[in-house]
Amino acid sequence: MSNLSLPNKPVDWFRNTITLAIAVAVIWSLIGLEIKWERLIDLPGDLYVIGTLMFGEMNIEDFPDLVGAMWESISIAWVGTLIAALFAIPLSFLAAENLVGRPLAWLIRQVFNLLRAIPEVILAVALIPIFGLTPLTGVLAIGIGSIGTLGKLFYEVIEAIKKEPLEAADAVGANKLVRFRWGVVPQVMPEMASFVLYRFEVNIRASAVMGLIGAGGIGNDVAQALRFNDWSVAGMGMLIVIFGTITVDAISGAARKQIIRGSSAKSLTPVEVQA
Amino acid sequence: MQASELKIPKKPGLRGSVMFSISFAFVLTIVTMITVEFSLLEIIENFTRPNMVVDGLLSPDLTQIFSERSRSAFLETLQLAILGTVSGGGLSLLMAFWATDFGNPIGWLRVVVRNFNNVIRSIPDLLWALLFVTAVGVGILPGLLALFFFSMAVVTKLTSDTLDGIDQGPIEAARASGSGQLSMLRMAVLPQILPSYASFLLYGFELNLRASAVLGLVGAGGIGSRIEFFRGRLEWSEVWGLVLMFFLVVFLVERLSVTIRRRLV
Repeated sequence: MSNLSLPNKPVDWFRNTITLAIAVAVIWSLIGLEIKWERLIDLPGDLYVIGTLMFGEMNIEDFPDLVGAMWESISIAWVGTLIAALFAIPLSFLAAENLVGRPLAWLIRQVFNLLRAIPEVILAVALIPIFGLTPLTGVLAIGIGSIGTLGKLFYEVIEAIKKEPLEAADAVGANKLVRFRWGVVPQVMPEMASFVLYRFEVNIRASAVMGLIGAGGIGNDVAQALRFNDWSVAGMGMLIVIFGTITVDAISGAARKQIIRGSSAKSLTPVEVQA
Repeated sequence: MQASELKIPKKPGLRGSVMFSISFAFVLTIVTMITVEFSLLEIIENFTRPNMVVDGLLSPDLTQIFSERSRSAFLETLQLAILGTVSGGGLSLLMAFWATDFGNPIGWLRVVVRNFNNVIRSIPDLLWALLFVTAVGVGILPGLLALFFFSMAVVTKLTSDTLDGIDQGPIEAARASGSGQLSMLRMAVLPQILPSYASFLLYGFELNLRASAVLGLVGAGGIGSRIEFFRGRLEWSEVWGLVLMFFLVVFLVERLSVTIRRRLV
């Protein structure tokens, strides 16, 4: 027994390198950032005070205005998403390698990538001098900002279609348009509709945020209230954002389930996380 | 063949529920368009009018990369994203464990943790930043706090979804061999989720990097404060130069992250 020895644990170089790199990065960041850590000690107390100010006594008179502002945020998100879909649908067909040639698909994809990289808030910042502090700024920022994501989701759907309906269309001598109408469209419609709704849910959060820099919607009210220490309005505004978002999520999620259930589509939510 | 007797069946019409959804979406579109005062004419007019934003976009000032202050603002953004992700993402592993039944035997605590996660996740990053700017004042700290909560919420959600789908066999085996709670999690659960968890962390880092660019717009540090500075002075060439540089950084980080994630999963 005593002669037996455990084999050495294998060394995982990949893991060790990554761990070391993270450790170095963290230390570098800690040294580089001049953070007033002592402020953290007061933070729980400050948050408690702000919390009681915000949620302690809310004024019911503010309620209708804030709900109206939330409705504006939802409207911004909906119209913006539709505008994005209007552009993304035709473009995504041109970005699908199984429908058009590689060079064109590549080109359109780069456009999507570029649009995807711009945060909506930055777009809003750029649009404010052109359109002013109006909801239209928010609509366009969301519209332009969502083309990239929607387009990417769409062309992935298009590339995953089955070949058989297309072959069937070819076999009966269908022309290009008919082939597209009956071979492609029915296969991609349900998932596309579901992704539009999904993006709408994402965009409600974005539009709520864009108001913070003045692009319309409830964010406007919350930002103003916080700036002028109008705590109860800010508190109620935040609660309305949270409940409004959750409510719309629930309705839209139910609609997506309905759409997907009646079709052969595979996924309910786009898997953006997977590399 | 008596073709004349053959009847083509009637085309099936749209189902009632589909008709309802389509008309609902139509009405919703009209009402929301009125709410936001949508006007195609105004859009075309405003875009075709000469304006300095577009002028700036056409001649971005790329020399910003040599500016000492812009460079340090970039480093600040990068460092904020690193610290925010490591702290928030680290805590999210605990939070995700506490939200599952094998990680947390106390039923009511599980419900509390789950609901806490849901509330945190419904608050957007910029609102977090504004809240903390109000609480601790303008600076880097509110930005870090915002990224911390933001990435914690996202990574917790993704990790607990993964935890719901793991193989229960190793857990039973660990329990049967008399392992304690901690060693059960360490030996039976962690190895199963580690690759996806690491990939979620990287994803959180990408999100944080993007978010940290806009935090500065509300006074929470990073490259956003620099963008806000030039915007305030209406120097749009500089603004676009910074935005372009930011894209470059995000693009490089994303490439790296995707490469590492491929190896992990």
